[in-house]
Parts: sequence; structure tokens; C-alpha cells
Amino acid sequence: MIEIDEKDLIRCPICEAVNINKGKHNVCRRCQSSIYKHTKFRTEKSWAYLITAMIAYIPANLYPMLITSQFGHREGSTILGGVILLWEHGSYPIALVIFFASIVIPLLKFMILIYLLISVKYPLGKDKKVNKHKLFYLTEIIGPWSMIDVFVVAILAGLIHMANIQILAGTASTAFALSVFFTLLSAHAFDEQLIEEHNRG
Amino acid sequence: MKLRNEEELDKLVICHKCYTIHQEAPIKDGTKALCSHCGSVLYRYDSKLANNGLALSITALIFLVLANIFPIVMIDILGNESYITLTKTFLMLFDSGFFIVGFIVMFLIFVFPFMITFLYMLIFALLYFKIGKNLSKDILVLISHLEPWSMAEIFLVSILVALVKLIGYAQIHMGVSFWALIAYVMLDIYITRTIKLSEIWMLRNRIYK
Repeated sequence: MIEIDEKDLIRCPICEAVNINKGKHNVCRRCQSSIYKHTKFRTEKSWAYLITAMIAYIPANLYPMLITSQFGHREGSTILGGVILLWEHGSYPIALVIFFASIVIPLLKFMILIYLLISVKYPLGKDKKVNKHKLFYLTEIIGPWSMIDVFVVAILAGLIHMANIQILAGTASTAFALSVFFTLLSAHAFDEQLIEEHNRG
Repeated sequence: MKLRNEEELDKLVICHKCYTIHQEAPIKDGTKALCSHCGSVLYRYDSKLANNGLALSITALIFLVLANIFPIVMIDILGNESYITLTKTFLMLFDSGFFIVGFIVMFLIFVFPFMITFLYMLIFALLYFKIGKNLSKDILVLISHLEPWSMAEIFLVSILVALVKLIGYAQIHMGVSFWALIAYVMLDIYITRTIKLSEIWMLRNRIYK
């Protein structure tokens, strides 16, 4: 007979089996993945990826995402420039999709991750009005959708390469793809168990 | 809370959305259990999960192969014709020297979807024939590591966005692969989202007991 506190139950992030929290190093009893790898550095890895992503996001907005070459005349457009151009041409739905995917979602994800990473370490948002688990779940769901712009550029560049008109990918596509990649890594490196521990105080 | 041994923990489920702890209850075939706190699905019980899963994942793999060998869209700008296939999307990026984006796109829309669909087919086949206890564990762990990195559905939306951008400049013809990709994405969403990995783990527990 084992007697345990309900609060000592944790969920394996890999196979979702319920495990008893035995302290420093837990190995899932079902899939044998280790549940905690670091005891000292638990938010640092996530911070590192997040900062990398934010740095990469700067050139992603400054350099051209898409270069249109028409009869030898080259013209580049940045992410925001592309959105404005689409809006002026009257393609409002597409302008909104690109605006949300490339600007709102990445910024929202940065802010949510910064909030979560700060709030699990310092007394912030203790009132439990904000469900941090749901917030984290939200970042996991919307995160990958910011790849839309990179895919669109790849498709257009692959499709339009005629003699007179060509579309080429710009420097920003590399920066943006890396930014999304590191944001995803940052979210995966975030230890959800920290939220639970912090709520208990 | 008192438990007789660690095995009893298998009777507990923690909601993936809000972290509420639940006791697993036996439910009728074809029904689902919901979280009492936030209402999201905890698990479903389907006595034919291995059969259905195997059939669906084989179908998905066939559609994925079809989506890769035919053109997705063909366009016509002032007499200049051009088409794109799924692999051409990232091969063109390699050609123009964008190796980092090329690799990222290649893994997200080509390598991972193939791996995940194949692994699902494998795990359902193992469970169907009731063999490979340890192998099935390794496959499930691998799937849960790979699953967040498959972006076929996002690629599909991107195709639509790209095409809307081209309306007015070019004549657009949909290729065979476009429809195959739609079928694949729908099957993939069913296999990876509606069938939860924890349900496959529960099935595995029942089979190899």
C-alpha cells in the first residue's frame, strides 16, 4: 500500500502516463523517458532558444522576404511591406492571414513565453485568474502556423521562374524560418511541471 | 489518495489542457470521456482502434505518395507554363542557395510526414498482430517526439494563400497531387489529432498484459 498526495502526481510529457513525483530525477514507468533532466537549469534552455528566436526575428522584418524580378528590374518586399501591398490591392483576407501568421502570432508567442518563463520564477500572476496551462497549450497550437509565409515564398519561388518574370526568396525567409524554428524549440523546452509547482507555491 | 501498487496509476488520467486529475472509468464502445473541468476530450474507447488505425494509415501513406509524384498546381502566365510538385518546392530553394530554409521546409513537409505516417502504420500493424512489445514502445516514443514537427496541413493552407496571390496574373489549374494532398491532410489530422497517443498507449497496455 502506498499513500501519496494527489499533488505529487505528474504527467509524462512523452507518453502522458501518470507518475509519482519522486523528486530530482524521474523516469517514466511506462516509456522510460526521463521527466526531469535538469534540476538547476530549468528555464534557462527555454530562455536561450527564445532569445535566439527574437534576435532572428529582427532581420526577418528588415530584409526583403520576396524579390520580384520583372524584365531585369528587381524589387524586394519585406513582410510588413507585402501585407500593406496586398491590402492596397484589395486582397483583404490574404493580407489578414499573412499579417496574423507572420506578425501577430510570433509576437504573441514571444510575449506568452516571456510571461510564462518569468511567472514560474517570480511571484507574478499568482491570483490564478490566468490559466497558464491553457496559455501554454495555446502557444503549442498556434505556433507552427507562422510557417505559412515561408511556405508561400517557397511555393511562389518554385512556381514563377519564367524568362521575364521571376520570384526569388529573400534573406528574410532564412531569418524568419529560423525564428519560427527556435520559438518552437523554446516552447518544447519549457517544462510544464513548473507551472504546477509554482501554483502551489 | 491510497494505491495498492504503482500499476494502479494506470487508472488515472491527467487532462492535457488544464492538468486536472481524473480517475479512468470504463466507457461504452465508440464513446469518449470528457474532462470535468474544461470539457476537452480525455480519451475515447474504440474496440477496433488497431483495425481502423491500420486501414487509415495505409490509405494516408498511399495518398502521401500520390501527393509527391504528380504536380500540385500548374499555372499559365501569358503563354508561359509552369508547374510545381511538393519536392520541387524545396529543391528550388536549394538551387537558389537557400540551404537553411530548404532543409527546414524539406523536413517539415516531406521527411517528417513520411516518417510519421509510416510509423503510425507500423505501430497499428504491431498492435493488430499483437507482436513486438518493446518495439511498439520505442515507436510510440519516437512518434511523440516527431509529431509537433509535421506541417502538411500548414503547407496546404500556404498553397491556397499562394494561389489567391496569383489570381489575376495567371491561369491556375489544380493538379492531381493537390487533391491527394487534401485527402492526406484530412486523414493525417484524424490519425494524429483525433486518435490520441494516450489511447494507443492504453490499447498497448490492454494487449500486452
